[in-house]
Amino acid sequence: MSIEIRNLHIEYPDHLLFDNVSLSATPHEIIAIETKVLDGGTSLLKGIAGFLSGVSGQVLIDGVDLLAPTDPESAFKVGYVYEERGLLSIYNIYQNICLPLQFHTDMTAAEIAQEAHYVCDLLQIDDGLFDQHPHHLNDVQTRTVNLARALIVKPRLLLIDELEGGMSDEFLQDTMERLKERQRDHPMVVLITTASDIVMELADRVLKIENQDLVEALA
Amino acid sequence: MNTLKPESSERENQPEGSPPQNSWRIIEFFGRRPREVAIFLLDIIGLISIALAASKHLVKPKRRRIFLNLFIRQLYNTGVRALYINGMIAIFIGALLMSRLFDYIPQQVISTQYSYLFVVIVFRELGPLISGIILISRSATAVTSEIGFLRMTREFQVLHGLGINPVFMFLLPVFFAFPISLFLMFIYFDFVCLLSAYVFIWFSDPDISFLTFLANILEQITLNEVSINAVKALLGGVMIGIISIHFGAKAADSFDDVSHAISNSTTAQLMSFFLINVVLSILAYTQ
Repeated sequence: MSIEIRNLHIEYPDHLLFDNVSLSATPHEIIAIETKVLDGGTSLLKGIAGFLSGVSGQVLIDGVDLLAPTDPESAFKVGYVYEERGLLSIYNIYQNICLPLQFHTDMTAAEIAQEAHYVCDLLQIDDGLFDQHPHHLNDVQTRTVNLARALIVKPRLLLIDELEGGMSDEFLQDTMERLKERQRDHPMVVLITTASDIVMELADRVLKIENQDLVEALA
Repeated sequence: MNTLKPESSERENQPEGSPPQNSWRIIEFFGRRPREVAIFLLDIIGLISIALAASKHLVKPKRRRIFLNLFIRQLYNTGVRALYINGMIAIFIGALLMSRLFDYIPQQVISTQYSYLFVVIVFRELGPLISGIILISRSATAVTSEIGFLRMTREFQVLHGLGINPVFMFLLPVFFAFPISLFLMFIYFDFVCLLSAYVFIWFSDPDISFLTFLANILEQITLNEVSINAVKALLGGVMIGIISIHFGAKAADSFDDVSHAISNSTTAQLMSFFLINVVLSILAYTQ
């Protein structure tokens, strides 16, 4: 299994953001992208996930291009963790976490519940939150639930947009460790934009955004 | 003097023999409205075809279950929670209009004439119109603001990221629930109106039997009238729902957009719904 980004080009009508970005990654790898305010880190992740228009290039997962609009399996290949919001307000937390499996698979409610409880236990999401709605959660809880929903589909590429906001160092380190634990059971490439030293220390590689491209950051 | 300068310079820049600037503006104004209406109608037709195409998802039992939850939520919000206001207006119409009308009809023809007038006024016209107005003011505005809010908070993008078509989650439940709710509101309105009219008539004439009163009115209702009301509910409900989605989805980044979407969609819905009612009534009931 491999993930390869080839010649990614992200352009807004008035602004070229990324030009000719290429990157290869192997499973079990966590790649941190060091970001600063407004340097395009979020747009890069959204471009890779196929959320933006004005994107060209390829994001190949096992040779299949994620950016090709006809790939019906893309929901199971990529998980996306939003920096803020990202949950559906019409559903409670449990329904938000289970929705991808309910919509895309033939799993029974019991099987889905088992998966949901597994990822929630892993990420220390309290069962008491299940009946709450997204507006009841704080930023950290929202991001953790986002992460649980992304992990439940066992994606092969996990894109995380600044996990650390509002998290204590201990909680962030713990969450990263648990992410690695999940990665051992279900191989995936994790691409995470961050400004946190903890995340960069725990990552296998650290890149930074420079001249509309990704380059290796110096240790 | 200064204010005249731009005008004179505009005129100087125009080619010889071309109409003056104001004429272009008038032509542009009259040309823009039909263009906007044509685009709006094409959008509505497009949304209806998208909704029909998305209905294929309902074949899968798991997706059908997700849909049913959203559909029941919509039906409850649209139909059930409107019963109170629908019932209150029906009581007022029955008490103030239909029971008074009873007093003005000569006794010799009361059983046929009153029933006929009840069907013509309430069943054919007032029931559908008032129910539609309640649907627009209570539920359609709520759907428009909900869709606008979902757009603002990028929840459609979230669904896209999960490989779920937002049309399935938000358009389909409205597409199916609005016509059904509207038809049920028609029936409920007619029944409550009939009941309240009877109660107020009974105060002045206690000898009148409810069953006879009901039977006389039911006798006047033909299959044609029921079918026309069903068509009004179907077309009206679909149009009201689709217009809500259309304008809600146009909201982009600010609450201001949502406010505009609500007022524009309410205007378009009232015009469309009245037009559908008038056209269908004329086609069906003109002798």
